[in-house]
Amino acid sequence: MDNTKTAGSNIPVKIKNFLSTHTSLVTFIAMLIFLGIITNGNALKLGSLQNLVVAEAVRAFGALGVGMIIITRGIDLSLGQVIGLSACVSASFAQTADYGSALYAGQEFAIWLPVIAGIAVGAAFGLFNGVLVAYGNLPPFIATLGSMSIATGLKLIYTRASTLGSLKNEYKIISQGFMGPIPYLLIYVVIAAIVIWVLMNHTKQGKSIYAIGGNAQAAKVSGINVKAQLMRVYLYAGILYGMAGVLMSARLGLANPLTGNNMELDAIAAVTVGGISHAGGVGTVGGMMIGLMTLGLINFGMTFLGVNSYYQLLVKGGIIILAVYMDMRKHARKE
Amino acid sequence: MKKLLTLVLCLAVLSTALFANGQQEAASGSDEIVIGALIRNTDEQFVADYADVLKKLAAEAGVTLKLQDSRGDMAAQLDQMNTLLVQGVKHFVVVANVTEATEDMAKAIHAKGGSAAFSNIQPSVEALKVSPNFFLASSPESVAGTFQAQIIDEYFKANPEKMANGDPDAIDAVFLYGQLGHPAQVYRTNAVKQGLIDAGYKLNVVAEDTANWKPSEAQAKMDAWISAYGGEFDLVIANNDGMALGAVESLITNGYLDDPNDPTADLDGDGLVLSIPVVGVDATQVAVKAMDEKKLLGTVLQDAVGQASTAFELAVMMATEGSAAGKSAYGIAPLTAPIDEAPANDAAVVGQCYLVPFKAVTMENYKEFMQ
Repeated sequence: MDNTKTAGSNIPVKIKNFLSTHTSLVTFIAMLIFLGIITNGNALKLGSLQNLVVAEAVRAFGALGVGMIIITRGIDLSLGQVIGLSACVSASFAQTADYGSALYAGQEFAIWLPVIAGIAVGAAFGLFNGVLVAYGNLPPFIATLGSMSIATGLKLIYTRASTLGSLKNEYKIISQGFMGPIPYLLIYVVIAAIVIWVLMNHTKQGKSIYAIGGNAQAAKVSGINVKAQLMRVYLYAGILYGMAGVLMSARLGLANPLTGNNMELDAIAAVTVGGISHAGGVGTVGGMMIGLMTLGLINFGMTFLGVNSYYQLLVKGGIIILAVYMDMRKHARKE
Repeated sequence: MKKLLTLVLCLAVLSTALFANGQQEAASGSDEIVIGALIRNTDEQFVADYADVLKKLAAEAGVTLKLQDSRGDMAAQLDQMNTLLVQGVKHFVVVANVTEATEDMAKAIHAKGGSAAFSNIQPSVEALKVSPNFFLASSPESVAGTFQAQIIDEYFKANPEKMANGDPDAIDAVFLYGQLGHPAQVYRTNAVKQGLIDAGYKLNVVAEDTANWKPSEAQAKMDAWISAYGGEFDLVIANNDGMALGAVESLITNGYLDDPNDPTADLDGDGLVLSIPVVGVDATQVAVKAMDEKKLLGTVLQDAVGQASTAFELAVMMATEGSAAGKSAYGIAPLTAPIDEAPANDAAVVGQCYLVPFKAVTMENYKEFMQ
């Protein structure tokens, strides 16, 4: 906790400013160090860090998607169920042909089919959400609440409420493989984060997205096609969910109707902790990733220390509330 | 900002330090025996009982138990397993989320030279084939169904007039299933149906659907069936007690009582206050209490103590002796010949299967099961 003292008055203003603008990063690093100290470095071994990254990778795709949506002052409750549905669809095309209980028993599919199918499912739902919100003028909360239920229903119907297991090894390797010490999953996340970062910071579209979240009316007046841009954000998010679904099924080696449950809450919490403001127009890709890793670290740390899972829920809840409180304070002061 | 930063850090520090059970040093090369327990979801009564037994056994034996509850999330269970493996935990007791995940779990544990005993959710044959150090310490689900059929048979033998609804010559039953395709759902259902047919009954399935093991879903389903088929069925068969009790609630609120004015009166002398009998599986304490209140005809004990003790003894044996081949655990010898039910149907792995018997809980003996 000594780190906090560095924000004292005799320290150069630069550091002070850095701390105040990068609170979540500082918090994350401080927690990492703390966890390292109380476990004698055991929690920071390579294997542990690999586990941490692997555990959060799928959620990272969800967080990037919903993070963009929240920046437009929207929300997406369908995230978890869409990821689950796309995991189920992709898994169904990746089952070994000789597995008797396979959904398409006896049929051999090309290895790219489950990947494309999973992403297509996500994209379709993203487009659906986008049309409802942008052109149907439905409040995002309600539109995505509806599509969440539709995705849950489709997931149960498609899987006939059973588990789709026995996935091919060459499919599982997509998520379970390593390049040296680096899990493939980390590579995908880094690529996705860079793509979204470029989109948000170095394209006209990115500027439009921030403008819409800041003030949709003003954005419209300044010549931005708000409806088309909004729809695209939901579509991009859907594509990211589709990828998350594929990676999820490959990682678990199975998918079932429970896959993806409650993931929307984890992803929304992560980006909120990472400083994405629900008031719209504020937030960075870096923030999303730090928020995600912060919650991931808390999860991992508590598992490592053997904390009862019931208490883990309390801690997570407390941290989310605190993060939003801080966010509100920051904005109140600006005004 | 300074204050807030302090607040966040304090919370982070407290969160980890305050609730920690001080287990982090456990696996650092001492002589201490460490067993990892990967538990599906302690919100489920059977699993909660199982976890409690493990904790008690570990405390008695001086074994460090690292118990992780995945709260029904397969991905979380994998993360927890990976975390324990990194900490050096080798030997596991596992109540998996799904059978299909057991092979990958066994492979990951085997890669670190470890072992695991699977309870409740059966491991796949492939999981047991990973190495002889992986075990089934569970109960064959079909036996639960057979016991249900026996309880039902005794009831209708004693009260033949209770078959009058629907087809008077047949047992007209509604079925509440667990998660479809779940081994417990498949084997329990097939066995109870077969058991009734073997006992010489004509079985007429009036309605059947899944309630995903949940009382609330079962109650809603039952409410709908009563509107649709009221008076056409003689019996409710549920794959677990939770759903059976959901059905009981529905029957009570819909007035299926011997005396709608007195929900504690057994007018027809069949031992039940309900006019339609309900059977479940699991013998949870709430279910046994419902039997005491004459609301539930019978259930079958899935022996949490037996399964947990068998799995725990196997894990300890692996940790101390490095092998459990051919040895008995909790007084149960490994199977010698295949049975009809996976994974114990594969001759190559029968020696790794420890079958913990189910017990029928009837109106005669239920008091023995009250705690």
